[in-house]
Amino acid sequence: MFVLLRQLARIRRDAHLDRAHRPRSLALRHVDAGSCNGCEHELALATSPRYDLQRFGLDIVASPRHADVLLVTGPVTTRMASALRTAYDAMPEPRLVAALGDCSLGCNILGDSTELIGALHDVLPVDIRIPGCPPTPEAIAQHLLAALDSNEHGR
Amino acid sequence: MTAELIAPDRWRDAVAARVAIGARFAGAWATRHGDAPAWRAAFATSAGGTTTLTCPAADGRVPTIVDLLPAADWDEREAHDLYGLAFEGHEPLRALVTHTDDPELWMTPVQGDGVHEIAVGPIHAGVIESGHFRFHVVGERILAMDPRLFYKHRGLERAAEGRTLQEALAYAQRACAACAVTNTVAYAQAVEEALGLWPDRDLRAARTLLLELERLYNHLNDIGAVCAGVGFAPGAMAFAALKDRAQQLNLRLAGHRFLFGTIAVGGGALTLDAAAADRVRQELRELRDDTATSWRSLEFTGSVHARLEGVGVLGAADATFVGACGPAARAAGVRADVRSDSPRLAYEDFTPAAPRQPTGDVAARLDLRASELQSTCEILDELLARPVAAGTASTSHEPRANGIALVESPRGATLAAVELDGDRVARLHLRTGSYANWPALAHATAGNLLPDFPLINKSFELCYACVDR
Repeated sequence: MFVLLRQLARIRRDAHLDRAHRPRSLALRHVDAGSCNGCEHELALATSPRYDLQRFGLDIVASPRHADVLLVTGPVTTRMASALRTAYDAMPEPRLVAALGDCSLGCNILGDSTELIGALHDVLPVDIRIPGCPPTPEAIAQHLLAALDSNEHGR
Repeated sequence: MTAELIAPDRWRDAVAARVAIGARFAGAWATRHGDAPAWRAAFATSAGGTTTLTCPAADGRVPTIVDLLPAADWDEREAHDLYGLAFEGHEPLRALVTHTDDPELWMTPVQGDGVHEIAVGPIHAGVIESGHFRFHVVGERILAMDPRLFYKHRGLERAAEGRTLQEALAYAQRACAACAVTNTVAYAQAVEEALGLWPDRDLRAARTLLLELERLYNHLNDIGAVCAGVGFAPGAMAFAALKDRAQQLNLRLAGHRFLFGTIAVGGGALTLDAAAADRVRQELRELRDDTATSWRSLEFTGSVHARLEGVGVLGAADATFVGACGPAARAAGVRADVRSDSPRLAYEDFTPAAPRQPTGDVAARLDLRASELQSTCEILDELLARPVAAGTASTSHEPRANGIALVESPRGATLAAVELDGDRVARLHLRTGSYANWPALAHATAGNLLPDFPLINKSFELCYACVDR
């Protein structure tokens, strides 16, 4: 285990993410509304050592009841629409919705239109837009940090 | 590839004959024969050959083969839900893709003293794809688990119909990011099979390189996932960082962290001159050495291993019975790997990896992935010893209306079936390694403790996206 810890200590947080002047926090809850799993892989890596979202006060929480931001990936499928809405309804206000990835932003959606509701903004009000197919861990972190900086509720 | 048309009254005998000679079931899908619905099954033979059997279903009815081939259970249920085929003798034919509110229509009934159900999902606690699990438990002990997936069903196969061959490739790619190379190589090979094309040496090498790069970051991810499954943060973080390095390499090499856009029908997109190939080779050697160091440290962390042994056991007989493939089957001692029979790729003299002990538990699946990482690094090292050229495919046989291909993904044998109508796709079917392994996961879960499920699940690390499509 000490070898692993030594290896981890050598990893530099060399992603272009600035920690200065960011005293606030946002709790994030992720919902996969029909993604290809690319956004999930990259979001999970955003909490890995090179990016380390937690050091900015950004962390992924297990329940929407503890979340400030709902991070939604994928085009919204007909089968995920009600679960997505239930998660949103469970969140305390004020709350923010982030569309993570091009599918949730309504670009380049592939699929049979009868199985998809469409872009996230057709289902929920979208506050944060994170483009990319999928967005890199660094891009995800940058957009969330921008939201942290501009969000008056993020305390 | 050979194809046979089988009348419904001979269907079961024809399938039984294939099973008897040791042909491996590769998937079955609803299609059309002339103007009528039909049901088609694919088998792989040991020499790398494939054969399809087609059963016309003029009245929408086909005799079931699920008693001869339990691995065809999900295929029949899916064809019933999406294409309305009825399977005579498949009783009860439970809903798979269709979501119904009545639990009796999709769940295994489990009754007895103290039995209760625990529903999990479709939204999970971590950053995980959406899907629902219904556990039948007594106390902490799981008696049975019914997975209900297809929350992410996007209708990709139907949407690909009528598209050009190049357009439809995007549908195979977007089925799943983590298997994008496998799915698109399988698609491209199936189309080339139909068009009568054979890849040259350069194209075979370039595709093999991309497939192994995909395996590299996936296996690193999956080892980290098992560490996360037991709450061992140093291992989870170390392997997440290694996976990130592998994906950064993908980005520099091919312009995309998941290698999107690198596969095309009849040719390739990736080229590396000798200097670039050598740089990548050196970087991969550093990654390989750091991975070996991390793995050795993990191997000697007794508290982790104490949690893995004897958990989530899938034995060899059960693995074969339910049609498991990939690392899940190999960890149980089933030495099946499509890479051994892949003449369209550059896997000369490939030998499937074997775990030190084929115990079929979480420990064996973890161990197997570590040993596959070594062989993946060796294959990559060899392929990068010379420049990578895009390659092309040239005419080798008469074109036909359909083609199938099997490719080994990080999770197992993936089948792509393509049926053409002129220069358009009439039918696309993807049956990925994850699809074959979900019933195996359910099987391995029974008898274990509920808190061990996340760990067992992580040790299979199956995709939902390319199952749901």
